[in-house]
Amino acid sequence: MKLLRKTGNRKHVLLLCLIPIFLSGCWDRAEVNDLAIVSGMGINKTDEGDIKLSVQIINPKAIGGQGNSGGGQSGGNPVTVETAVGKTIFDARSKLQEQFSRKLFEGHNRVVIIGKSLAEAGIRKHIDFFARFPNPRLRANVFFTDGKASKILKVIPNLEVDSAEVARELAQLQIGMNVTIKDLLQQMASESGDVALPRISVNKGKLGEGLRVNGTAIFKKDQLVGQIDDKVTRGLLWLIDQIQLSTVTIKPKDAKGYISFKLLRSSTELKPKIKNGTWTMTVNITTEDDVAENETKLDMMDPKVTKKLEKQLEKRIDKRIEMTLDKVQKGMEADVFNFAEAFHRTYPNQWKKAKNKWEEKFPELEINIQSTAKIRRPGRSTGPQGVPPDKEEQK
Amino acid sequence: MWRKWRKKEKKNKQSTLKQSNQEQEPLYNNITDNENQLRSIYENCSDVIVHPFTIGGKHQAILLYIDGLSNTEEIDDSVLSPLMKATDSDQEQQVDTLIKNTVAVADTNEATTFSDCVQAVSAGKPVVLADNSSTGFSLGLSKWEKRSVESPDAEKVIRGPREGFVETLTVNTSMLRRKIRSPKLKMQSMEIGHYTKTSVSIAYVEGLVDKTLIEEVTNRLNRIDVDGVLESGVIEEFIEDDPSSPFPQTLATERPDTVTANLLEGRVSILVDGTPFSLVVPTTLYSLLQSNEDYYRRYIMATATRWLRYLFLVMSLLFPALYVAVLTYHQEMIPTSLLISMAASREQVPFPALVEVLIMEITFEALREAGVRLPKQVGSAVSIVGALVIGEAAVSAGIVSAPMVIVVAITGIASFTIPRYSVAFTIRMLRFPMIFLSGTLGLLGIMLGIIIIIVHLATLRSFGVPYLSPMAPMHFSEIKDVLVRSPWWKLNKRPRLTGKYDKYRQSSGQKPGPIRGKE
Amino acid sequence: MIEKGRISALQMAVLLYPTVVATAILVLPATTGEFAKQDMWLSTIWASLFGYFSVFIAYRLHSYFPQQTMLQYSETIAGTVPGKLIGFGLLFFLIHTNGMNLRDYGEFVTGNFLQQTPLIVTVASMAFVCAITVRGGLEVVARSSQIFVPVFIVLFLFIVVLLIPSLNPQNVSPIMGKGVAPSIKGAFIPAQWFNELFLISFLLPYLHHKEKGLKWAMLSTALIMITLIITNVFALLLFGNITSSFTYPVMDAARYISVADFLQHVEAVVMAIWVTGMFIKISVFFYAIVVGMAQWLQLSDYRPIVFPMGFLVIIVSMWSAPSLQKLSHFSSTTWPFYVLFFLTIIPILLLLTAMARKKISLQSSNVERRKS
Repeated sequence: MKLLRKTGNRKHVLLLCLIPIFLSGCWDRAEVNDLAIVSGMGINKTDEGDIKLSVQIINPKAIGGQGNSGGGQSGGNPVTVETAVGKTIFDARSKLQEQFSRKLFEGHNRVVIIGKSLAEAGIRKHIDFFARFPNPRLRANVFFTDGKASKILKVIPNLEVDSAEVARELAQLQIGMNVTIKDLLQQMASESGDVALPRISVNKGKLGEGLRVNGTAIFKKDQLVGQIDDKVTRGLLWLIDQIQLSTVTIKPKDAKGYISFKLLRSSTELKPKIKNGTWTMTVNITTEDDVAENETKLDMMDPKVTKKLEKQLEKRIDKRIEMTLDKVQKGMEADVFNFAEAFHRTYPNQWKKAKNKWEEKFPELEINIQSTAKIRRPGRSTGPQGVPPDKEEQK
Repeated sequence: MWRKWRKKEKKNKQSTLKQSNQEQEPLYNNITDNENQLRSIYENCSDVIVHPFTIGGKHQAILLYIDGLSNTEEIDDSVLSPLMKATDSDQEQQVDTLIKNTVAVADTNEATTFSDCVQAVSAGKPVVLADNSSTGFSLGLSKWEKRSVESPDAEKVIRGPREGFVETLTVNTSMLRRKIRSPKLKMQSMEIGHYTKTSVSIAYVEGLVDKTLIEEVTNRLNRIDVDGVLESGVIEEFIEDDPSSPFPQTLATERPDTVTANLLEGRVSILVDGTPFSLVVPTTLYSLLQSNEDYYRRYIMATATRWLRYLFLVMSLLFPALYVAVLTYHQEMIPTSLLISMAASREQVPFPALVEVLIMEITFEALREAGVRLPKQVGSAVSIVGALVIGEAAVSAGIVSAPMVIVVAITGIASFTIPRYSVAFTIRMLRFPMIFLSGTLGLLGIMLGIIIIIVHLATLRSFGVPYLSPMAPMHFSEIKDVLVRSPWWKLNKRPRLTGKYDKYRQSSGQKPGPIRGKE
Repeated sequence: MIEKGRISALQMAVLLYPTVVATAILVLPATTGEFAKQDMWLSTIWASLFGYFSVFIAYRLHSYFPQQTMLQYSETIAGTVPGKLIGFGLLFFLIHTNGMNLRDYGEFVTGNFLQQTPLIVTVASMAFVCAITVRGGLEVVARSSQIFVPVFIVLFLFIVVLLIPSLNPQNVSPIMGKGVAPSIKGAFIPAQWFNELFLISFLLPYLHHKEKGLKWAMLSTALIMITLIITNVFALLLFGNITSSFTYPVMDAARYISVADFLQHVEAVVMAIWVTGMFIKISVFFYAIVVGMAQWLQLSDYRPIVFPMGFLVIIVSMWSAPSLQKLSHFSSTTWPFYVLFFLTIIPILLLLTAMARKKISLQSSNVERRKS
C-alpha cells in the first residue's frame, strides 16, 4: 500500500496495469508457416445454385529453400488446388478451411477466375466478397474461362511457379484485356453497367500445359451474353484504349510480300455528340508504329511510301474496330466500350433524360471511326535488306 | 524502511568526514609539532616522504613530497641545495623571506593550513616547512607519468586532427588553449569527491556563452557530493535533466576539436581529471548524431553520409521489429515471391518469429559485448567470426531462418554507423521494447513505440535546451544544418538557443568563386 | 495561468493541421462522394470556408480576451452561471467528440489490420500514449507534432506520387453536371471537421507572438484545404463512381498501389499516416478537455486530471456506439449539428454579446467623459 501512496510510483503501478494487456496480446499473430498462401481463386456455380470455390495454394517447401540445406527435400507440387461448395464464397471458403491445417490467407491472391456457370448466372453479387473481406487485393486480375475455373488453376506451367502468376503476367502484357477487381467494380457501377472480361484457356503444348488469353467474354449487366475471339478482341482493345502489345501486318497493294508494324503507343479518344436528337459517337484513334519486318522491296525511308502505308494501316484498324462493333454493339448489344459514361460526362443533362432508353439507343448508335496512324521509324534498316540498291522499287 | 536506512548511512558518512577535520587546522609555529602532525596524517603512507634538513645550517626545516609525483632532480637542484647552502649574510632575514628568495621555482605558493599542505602534496607539489614559521611553501615541481597524446580510439576520423584528450587535466586544458588562443576562453576549476578530490574544469568562451548557463552548470556541479569521481560518467549522472531517460543528455567526447567547435557555438565543456572524456552541455539529439568529420569533408558527400546515418539509425531501431511485424501480422505487404522464399526458409524453424528474433538479437549483443572486452587483437575477429559461424550453423541446423541472420547482421551494422557510442547503445537497447511491441500489436505497436519515443524526446531538455531542437521547436534557419550539412560559407549564424549572445560567427557572402574579368 | 509553456505560431499551425486532416483523410472521399459524386473535390473548398470563418471568430474572441480560453471568457461574457453551463456543454461535447475520435481510430485499426484484437486494447493504448503526451504539457504536444507533421506530409505525398500511374483523369468530368447543389450538400459534413478548428481558442492564449496567430492559423487552414482537395481528387481519379462505396477509400487506394511488382500494398503507410495524425488530433482534443476541465473546476494544475480524463474518454469511446455503422450514422446525421451548435453558434453568440457589451461600455464611458 505504501507503494501506491507515493506519487512517483503511481506511474509504475499504471504501467503494471498496462503490461497484462500486452501479455495477453498477439490476437492477430500468425506465423508465415501457419498460413496457406492463396495465389489464385476460381469460382463456379453448381447445378444446385451453390458456389463452388477453388483455391490455388502455394507450397513453399517445394518452391523456395534452395539455400536451406536442412529443408531441401522438395515436397511435391509447387501448388495444390482444392475445391469446396458453399452458399456464398465465404461459406465455401470456411468449408475449404476445414481441409487445411493452415489458415487460408488471400493477401497474395493475384487472380480471380470466373467459370462459365457463374458468369451465366450473374457475377455482381459475388464480387462483393473481394471488396469487403479485408485480405483480398483489389488489384487481383479477373478472368473468365469457358468451363471450370479449377482447370486453369490446376495447370502447372513451365516457366512460372504457378498458373496464377502466369495469368497475371499475361494480363500485364495486355495481349487481351487487363481487368482488375477494381476495374470490374467500376465497370459494373458505370452508367451502362456492361462488363467485358478476358477469356483464359488451357493451352496444350508439347512440353506441357500452358495458359493463353484468347478472346473476351462480354457481359450484359453482369450476365454472360457472348464471347469474342482473339481478332475481335483487338478491336475492343483499340476502342477502350488498352492496346499495348500489337503487331499489324499488312500487304501493300503495289508490292509483293508483307510488312509488319510494331505498335509504339496509341491513344483513343471518345467524342460523343448529340445533334438534333441524333446521338453519334466519334472515335479518334492515334497510333504510332515502327516497322518491324519488311518482306517487300519498298524503301522504308521514302516518305511517299510510308504515307501510303499509313493510309493502309488506318484502314486496317478501322476494319478491325468495325468488326468488333458489329459483333458486340449490334450482336450482343452490350456497351462495354464505356460509351454511356462518355455521353454522361459530356451531356449530363440530356443523359439524365435518356438514361432509361440507353439500352434501345445503344445498338442504333452511329459510330464514326477516325484513326490516324503514324509510322515513326523505319527500324534498324533503311531500305529493304538483301536487295541491291538499284533494284529497289521506286515509286 | 529504505529511507531510514539511507538516513543512517548519511549520518555515518558525516561522522567520518568530521574525523578528517584535523586537516583543516592551521599550521603550528613549531616545526616538530608540524612534523608530528603531518606524519600522523600520512601514517602508513609509504610513498610520502618527509625529509628533515636545515636551512643554511641554522633553521630546522622539512620537505614533504610524494614519491613519483614530483620531480626529484629539480627538488635537489633548485630547492634543497640552494636552501642548505644559504650563506650567513642572509641570517638577518626572516626564514619565510629567506625561502622565498632562495628557492628557484616559478610556481611558489604559501600554505597556511594542513589541508593546504595535503592538497599541494597530493597534487605533486613538494611543501617546505621551516621552524618558527606557520607558513609553508608549496612548490610547483610536479611531474608524473602520463600517457602521451594519441588519436582517440572511440572517435576515429579519416580526415581531421588525430589528437585526443588524455587522462591528465592540464594536458587537456592546454590542448584547448592551443586551439582557442583568445583570452576569452575561460576555465573555472573546482574539486569534486571527498577522497579523490578530482579537479574539474568548466571551459567556455566568454561573450558567446549564456551567463545563466554557466551559473546553472556550476550550481549543478557544486551540488555533487560524492566520495569519488572516477570518470566523467559519474558527473554526467549527477547533472542530467532527466536521470531516468535512456538518452544521453550530455555529449561525451575525447576530441579537442569537437569540444572547440561546441565552445564556439556557446556551449560549455566540463573537463574532468583522470579521464580523456570531457562533457559538453547542453546537447541535442542531432549533435549526437553528427560526426566531426562531417565538417571537414566536402559538404555534398557529408550530406549524403548524414542521410545514410539517419536511415541506418531508423534501421537499427526498427528493422528487427519490422521483420517481426511483417512476418507475423502483415504478410500481405511483402512481395509474393519474397514471402514464399521466406516461408520456405521458415518451414523448419521451431520458434515463432518473435522468439527467433530475440534469440538472435540477444546473441548478437552478447557477442558484441564480449568483443569489446577481449584483447584488441582477438576481439574484433572473434566477434565477427563468432557471429557468422553461429549464424551459419544455426541456419543449417534449422534453428533460425536464413533471412533472420541477414536481419540481425544489417541491424548490427546499422547500429555501428551512429558516430556516438552512447546514443548507439541507447538505440540498440530501445530496439528490444520495439520488438516486443511489434510482436503484440504488429505495425501498430511499432507506431505507438515510435510515438512514445518521440514524445519522450520532446519532453527532454538538456540544460534548458529542448533535446529535439532545431526540429522541434522548429527553426528554419538551423534546419539546414540538420537535413543537410550546409557549407561553411553558409553557416553564418550560431545555433539560436546556445549562441544567441553573439549571433553571427562570420560575415556573410563568403561563397568562393572563380576570378572574373579576365577572358 | 494554468499552462506555463508557450508555443510559437508555427507550432500552433502544425497542431491544427492534423486536427482536421487526420479524420478527414481516410473517410472524406466516401462521405463527400456520397452526395457530390464527381464534384467531391469542390465540396472541400466550400467546407473550408467554414474553417476560415471558425478561425476568424476564434481570433476575434481571442482579441477581446487575449489571456483566456473559451471556458473562461464564456463566463466573463455570459455571467457565471450561464458561463458555467456553456462550459459544461462544451466540455461534454469535447469529451464525446474525442471519444468518437478514439473510436474512429480503433475501428479503423481493428477493421483493417488487427481484426481479432479487442477494440479496447487499441483504443486504450492510444489513449495512454496521448495521456502521457498531454501530461508533458502543451510544449510537448507541439514539439511532437512538429516532428510528426512533416513525416505525415511526406508519407501522404509518397502515396499520392505512387498513385499517379493508376489514375484516370476522365473520372473528374462532368464538373458540376448537376449544378452546385450536390457539392454543397457534400460539403456539409466536412465543414464540421473544419469547424473543429475553433479549438485554436485553447491554443491562442499560449502563443509567443500573438499577432502572428491569425496568419498562421489561416495558412494552416489553407494547407488543410489543399491536402483534402488532393485526397479527394486522387480518390476520384482512381475509383471514379465507386469511391463512396468504400469505407476507407484512401486505404483501398494505397492497397491498389503496385510499382514494379515490388512496391505494393503500402497500406502500412496509410496506417502510419492515420496513427500519427490521429495521435495529434486526439492529443489536441485531450489537451483542450483537460485544460478546460481544470479551468472549469478552477484547479491550479491540470496534470492530476489527465489520467482520470483519459479513462473517461476511453469509456465514452466504448459506449458512444455499438458498431461502426451506428458510429458513422451518428457522425453523419446528429454530430454535424452538434458541432455546429457548440463550435459555431455559441461562439458567434458570445462574440456578438462581447461586441455589444464593448460598444455599450464604450458609449457609456464616452457619455461619462462628455459629462465630465
